[in-house]
Amino acid sequence: MGERWRSVLPSLLSVALALGVCWIAIALTRDAEVAGEAYLQMLYGGLGQWPRYLETGDVGTLTRPLGEAAIKAALLLLTGLSVAVAFKAGLFNIGAQGQMLLGALLAALVGAHISLPSALHIPLALLAAALAGAVWALIAAALKLMRGVHEVITTIMLNWVAVSLVDNWLAIGPLRAAVSGGHSISGTAEIHPSAQLPRLLGDLSRLNLGFLLALLVALLVWVGLFRTRRGFEIRASGLGAEAARTAGIAVNRRTAEAMGLAGALAGLAGALLVLGTEFRYPGSLGAPYGFDGIAIALIGNSHPVGVTLSALFFGILRAGGTRMQLLGVHKSFPELIQGLSLLFVAGRLVWLTLLRKRRAVSASTEVPRA
Amino acid sequence: MLELLEALLFSTLDAAPALIFAALGGVLSERAGVVNVGLEGQMRVGAFCAAVAALSMPTPLAVGVGMLAGAGLAMVHGYLSIRWRSDQVVSGMAINLVALAGGTFLLEALYSPNGTPPIQQLPRWELPGLGAVPVLRALSNHPGLTYLALALPFVFHALLHHTPAGLRLRAVGEKPHAVATLGLSVAGLRWGAVLGGGMLAGLGGAVLSTAVLDRFEQHTPAGLGFMALAAVVFGRWTPLGAFAAAAFFSFGNALRIGLASSAPGLLDVIPQGFLLALPYLLTLLLLTIQGQRSSAPAALGTPYEQESR
Repeated sequence: MGERWRSVLPSLLSVALALGVCWIAIALTRDAEVAGEAYLQMLYGGLGQWPRYLETGDVGTLTRPLGEAAIKAALLLLTGLSVAVAFKAGLFNIGAQGQMLLGALLAALVGAHISLPSALHIPLALLAAALAGAVWALIAAALKLMRGVHEVITTIMLNWVAVSLVDNWLAIGPLRAAVSGGHSISGTAEIHPSAQLPRLLGDLSRLNLGFLLALLVALLVWVGLFRTRRGFEIRASGLGAEAARTAGIAVNRRTAEAMGLAGALAGLAGALLVLGTEFRYPGSLGAPYGFDGIAIALIGNSHPVGVTLSALFFGILRAGGTRMQLLGVHKSFPELIQGLSLLFVAGRLVWLTLLRKRRAVSASTEVPRA
Repeated sequence: MLELLEALLFSTLDAAPALIFAALGGVLSERAGVVNVGLEGQMRVGAFCAAVAALSMPTPLAVGVGMLAGAGLAMVHGYLSIRWRSDQVVSGMAINLVALAGGTFLLEALYSPNGTPPIQQLPRWELPGLGAVPVLRALSNHPGLTYLALALPFVFHALLHHTPAGLRLRAVGEKPHAVATLGLSVAGLRWGAVLGGGMLAGLGGAVLSTAVLDRFEQHTPAGLGFMALAAVVFGRWTPLGAFAAAAFFSFGNALRIGLASSAPGLLDVIPQGFLLALPYLLTLLLLTIQGQRSSAPAALGTPYEQESR
């Protein structure tokens, strides 16, 4: 078994096992027919309703589901990369949720309160979101490097601080949109059209520039981590801080840079949500994207390519999950598949041992007896 | 004024036990060197199973079912992190995600999206002689588990610091190799701590669904498990410290709710969200001041491998 297979196979097997377990769960609570139909609907919902398309020729039946899957995948990809980059530096970033929240808030503020042409407005909003996420993450990095406080505890705390301050105060208080026309809405004011990410397929789909941006960012992260000296030093610091320090690497600096980058990536995810689909800070993010990022990163083995594939796959399942509701199967089902996948991935060593045993057994039978 | 104090004390005592049990579970597991980020998931499973069990058996018995359920989920954590030396934080987060999504699915499939049907709450104990005393009256009329939650931290302190078993447990979190040299089983001690921690977290969850509420709701335990984790760190990995932190968090929460209802004007000056953030900000502040290096168990988070030194 090659090195590449050793790193990919446990994830593939884990996802397959999770799909199997969840199929059985639906089959037990409903019946096997519903379970099969639910998985089919999930695929239609994520990859397009091909039967409807072949019947009616309506392109929208393909582009709409695919667009939803791409939007979900873009958010998962960025939060997944956030967790993965931190992981490469030996840090566990549980704070992607809080960093994303601040990114979303800043993107909404820049989008709503500044007037600029699109070519400047969108980059400025993205930059503000990335910076906000980075600052939030750097608090945890500073506490780790200066006071030795484990980042797991600080990032969890910072998540709660962000949720409390933004969702329970700013978004419903000082920053709440001015009431107009008698009905009040929660969340901040709507952003200017100049800050909205352009839709790529017009009315055919909600697919917007954010998806391409996320893919581009994944490519840049891959280049940064694996093709630059700084990226090498970050990975070296993560593999063994003492050895890296002995080799003359500024470990603390690289650690802080990685955490800042992680926060910036999560912040960008918030920007994509606001500039691409919500067009305001919606009062609460609505889903634990940051926690999803942990699963996406680990299932993708913390490698940019793996994280991209993992985000695309779960983006499709997520978008398809809403369609399963037609059958009365709860839409949180893709999350269960995701959670179980992570659980099985956590047992990576179990998989590797099982696989090695089989190989060892088959190898030993080939040894000719003297 | 006295009435406000009494109400605050009462609601603190009502809400604190869940947090105290879970935090003690965290202390137990982490003192033995196993990080337990999965407290939230263990609480959720405990709360769900206790509520479901209480539909068909006496509630006190159902609480036991909740404890076993918490231990069951902890067993997955133990299997991955002790037996297979997986990353303990990853395994903990994984059981959180599974408990969250799995609980949602089962709740929907078996009952309704919002919660289980109502159940018989745990009986509340009337303490004799306290009924007429102002303020102290708040100590009466709680379920028996509340009084257990007030006593257990002291029992744990005694066990952990004054018995051979407690010494071994702490040693396994500090220097597992030394414990192995003495011929004791590192894995065995850690298994005991992780399962015990899971039982306590399950108990914390069960309190929520059988005493604080009278059902399991979709959002139970709503982040209390993470708060318990904060109480463990805030309390510097000691039973009494975690107890104090859990009581402090619960009091802060009771104060926030009490202020919101009794002095609405105050919320114009201090925003609600800021009060919500306060316990977490204080935890961060305290960690900034004292640092963490000194108090965490030395082998926390490191899988035990016999070959390594």
